[in-house]
Amino acid sequence: MNQKNKLKLSTYLLNLIVAGAVLAGMLWLITKLVIDGLYPMASILSAIAVFIAMVYLRRKFTAWRWVAVGIAIALLFTIYPILYTFNISFSNMGSGHLMTKQQAINRIEQLQFIPEHSVKYQWTAFKADDGTFALWLISADGRMLLAEQGKDEKEVVAGLDGVGELDGDGIPLTIEGYQRVTRKESIAILTELSNIEFGLAPTTYRVKSLKEALESAPLYKYDAEQDAVINQQTGEIFKPIEGTFTAESGEEIIPGFTVSIGLKHYKYFLGTDGFRKPLGDILLWNISFTFFSVFLSFAIGLVASIMFEGLPGKRIIRSLLIIPWPIPVLVSVLIWRNMLHPDMGFVAPILEAIFGSSPNWFTNTFWTRFGIILVNTWLSYPYFYVITAGALRAIPEEIYSAAIVDGANPWQKFRFITLPLLMRILTPLIVASLTFNFNNFNVIYIFNYGLPAMADTIVPMGTSDILVSFIYRLAFVSSNVADFGLAGAITVLLFLLIAVMVILQIRVGKMFKEVD
Amino acid sequence: MKKFASLFALVLVLSLVMSACGPTAAPVPTAAPTEAPAAVETVAATEAASDVLTLTLWVYDDTRLATLNQLGEDFMTEYGVALSVEVVDLSEIRNAMSLGATTGEGPDMIIIPHDNLGPMVENASATEIDLGDNADKYLEPAVKAFTYNGKLYGLPLSVENIGFFYNTDLVTEAPMTWTEVAEIGTQLVKDGKAESVIGLPDLGYNIYPLYTAFGGYIFGRDADGNHTPEDIGMNSDGMAAALQWVKDLVDAGVVSPTIDWEAAHVAFETGKTPFISTGPWAITRFKTAGVNYAISAFPAVADGGEAGHPFMGVQGLVINAARPNVALAQTFADFLATEENYQALFEADTRPSAWMSVFEGATDADTAAFNSAGVNADPMPSIPAMGFVWDAWTNAGNLVMTGEKTPAEALQTAVDQVLAGIAE
Repeated sequence: MNQKNKLKLSTYLLNLIVAGAVLAGMLWLITKLVIDGLYPMASILSAIAVFIAMVYLRRKFTAWRWVAVGIAIALLFTIYPILYTFNISFSNMGSGHLMTKQQAINRIEQLQFIPEHSVKYQWTAFKADDGTFALWLISADGRMLLAEQGKDEKEVVAGLDGVGELDGDGIPLTIEGYQRVTRKESIAILTELSNIEFGLAPTTYRVKSLKEALESAPLYKYDAEQDAVINQQTGEIFKPIEGTFTAESGEEIIPGFTVSIGLKHYKYFLGTDGFRKPLGDILLWNISFTFFSVFLSFAIGLVASIMFEGLPGKRIIRSLLIIPWPIPVLVSVLIWRNMLHPDMGFVAPILEAIFGSSPNWFTNTFWTRFGIILVNTWLSYPYFYVITAGALRAIPEEIYSAAIVDGANPWQKFRFITLPLLMRILTPLIVASLTFNFNNFNVIYIFNYGLPAMADTIVPMGTSDILVSFIYRLAFVSSNVADFGLAGAITVLLFLLIAVMVILQIRVGKMFKEVD
Repeated sequence: MKKFASLFALVLVLSLVMSACGPTAAPVPTAAPTEAPAAVETVAATEAASDVLTLTLWVYDDTRLATLNQLGEDFMTEYGVALSVEVVDLSEIRNAMSLGATTGEGPDMIIIPHDNLGPMVENASATEIDLGDNADKYLEPAVKAFTYNGKLYGLPLSVENIGFFYNTDLVTEAPMTWTEVAEIGTQLVKDGKAESVIGLPDLGYNIYPLYTAFGGYIFGRDADGNHTPEDIGMNSDGMAAALQWVKDLVDAGVVSPTIDWEAAHVAFETGKTPFISTGPWAITRFKTAGVNYAISAFPAVADGGEAGHPFMGVQGLVINAARPNVALAQTFADFLATEENYQALFEADTRPSAWMSVFEGATDADTAAFNSAGVNADPMPSIPAMGFVWDAWTNAGNLVMTGEKTPAEALQTAVDQVLAGIAE
């Protein structure tokens, strides 16, 4: 009884310590994230922390502790990206608006104003006992200044005011209250020195590099009361408008920050005719591409597996038929592209010899789409070949014998026995293949980058583009000025479409199962 | 309740312990200078702790790697700061300088082609650089290329431009006008000596001299000499005329409508086309293929007209403003800016140097030919609006090749797309 109690105690302590350590760590991380303004990440971690606490504390959830890690990972890597994409789609996140407001303010306040005729100084650092520094500045024309932190700079002469004798380079050997910093030490603390303001406003000095220091002052300061950034030199006020600090004159400060803009992106691509109609075309092509690819590869795979069932040399045939599968998609699509190329490929002369002309594979919309479906079918049929071969084996022989007794011909055998039983097994796999091909970026983009181009579109779109390749082009290719917000909005649309498709397919698939 | 209490107590204690002596978050440089030393001190402390201060430099190709490493060693000897050079994909570099700017991670310095500068300035990742006394020792267009809104954001290192190649076995002397190019090429195709008039790697960057010969341009310059999105020339008559020139050849069946970079180069290498417009990067493959080529300046539209001029690409060093080591990086930039170092860099990679005396001292025949082809080269616009141009331009070219739109219409669509991109 005692041993059992002991075990119980040590387990109890272990659980407590693990839960406590994890929660403490998460709490610390969450606080840091909130301080930096990264709220989405902070909220998902809070959700996970609450979940873990519940699992630990409430008896009802104790059974979940074994899946707690799995659920936490699913929340972090699956749910969170979805929620984050939703979040981005309502914001203006993109190039020039990548930081949080606080980060942008921090960066803006670092910008320096260098007066018109700012003189460059050579500098030597001096360190005081309390850790503050002073700079000995020598300008090109021989002026010498002592600039201290928090005090006005003074033009000094050797021997007065605590400044010692000058050495050969014009640098005092000693200054009262300060220790000279050697060059080597200066390099080590260069970063620290460059962040210190020496002297007093309005003339302050900063270290710019090892060789020079100059007169400079902060250009902007953020006023929390007004919620605006103020130009210290001109007094101009910049208010935050849609993520950029803008003055009345229209001048903007770089960088901007991420801010919510509501449904602007959605209105843009659902509301603008120039966007909506081509998007509709792309969606149509996306669906037909998916459907045809999967249907054709399934048909070919099925036919291949039935045809080659009883033939001799089956093993060799099977190995040859599977060849498209293990070749990396990138390599095989590139090879197909080169084979079909009107100038470089060998397919063109052959077709010309047979038919008298060879299609313009890459400049004609129809032929590009045809080529893509051809290549995708070639890539996918081995998968279906293998799984139908396996599924066929799962159908018991007796059913066929019973059917023959009933007088069924081969076509009826296929239609009423083979096909339904096959579909029972293969439906989830077909659903998976449809979902995969709906987003089959590789084949589309490598074959012809989504071209040939669509006419009269607001952003460059291609007639062989599917939604996901269009999103990629929009966010990363069409501009090196990435617009994540807009891409996020279209991604959300894509996600909803696929979710609906998958739900429908599962429903339909279940109907199949009922027929038994 | 007891469970809850003990958990709560434990979490409280651990949190306090962690915030007291846990690692500090990556320092985002804070506002007031008085706060800065505290935050930066931690960084300096951790860096000093890791034996030696290191500056990281990311480059996108390995042509100058050995020389940069050697310079890094010299820098170490003189200043005691190490230089770590890494070859990183250009898209990675762009990411680090935009998205990475918010975290303070990433390289301290990068070497990039200047047309990537725009977004970096927009995201406040590029630091202003002052050439100081060396300002007049650089090629002026190179300095202009890295100038944005009147401020210099990069140290120019080398320049490059494309040249007009012709096959000396098929063509005896360099053509002076584009009409001659078409005539010579068509004649060669008729005689069966070639399969197409000219190899077109793309319809944008690589044949820009064709567009400029006809008077086309992408962005004009404002009063300060900066490219401005207010003056878009993409739909100008010159641009349309150039595309029409290509389309006429396609319609005549002597140029393929499938525009493919690889195919164009293969065609030139195998002698199937007598002309191609491409850059120094193609020389190695042409030499390996054994084709006899010569490089000339670009043809003009009509006799006595102005020769087409290509884009100038400038590679330069940019200092990452989001990193704390800006002052050290400035020191490295100052160290780098000497004639010797530029000569060493030039010898490592054949691209003409941005340092004037090194540029003029180039003796290689091919380099000299590229220099003469690029005598009026115009730096690619690096304004953010340029980011929308490339894809729209490719799109427009494609529309013309498929015959869907006339050159004027296609280019107008492109301009609309660029304007829509700027407005978004």
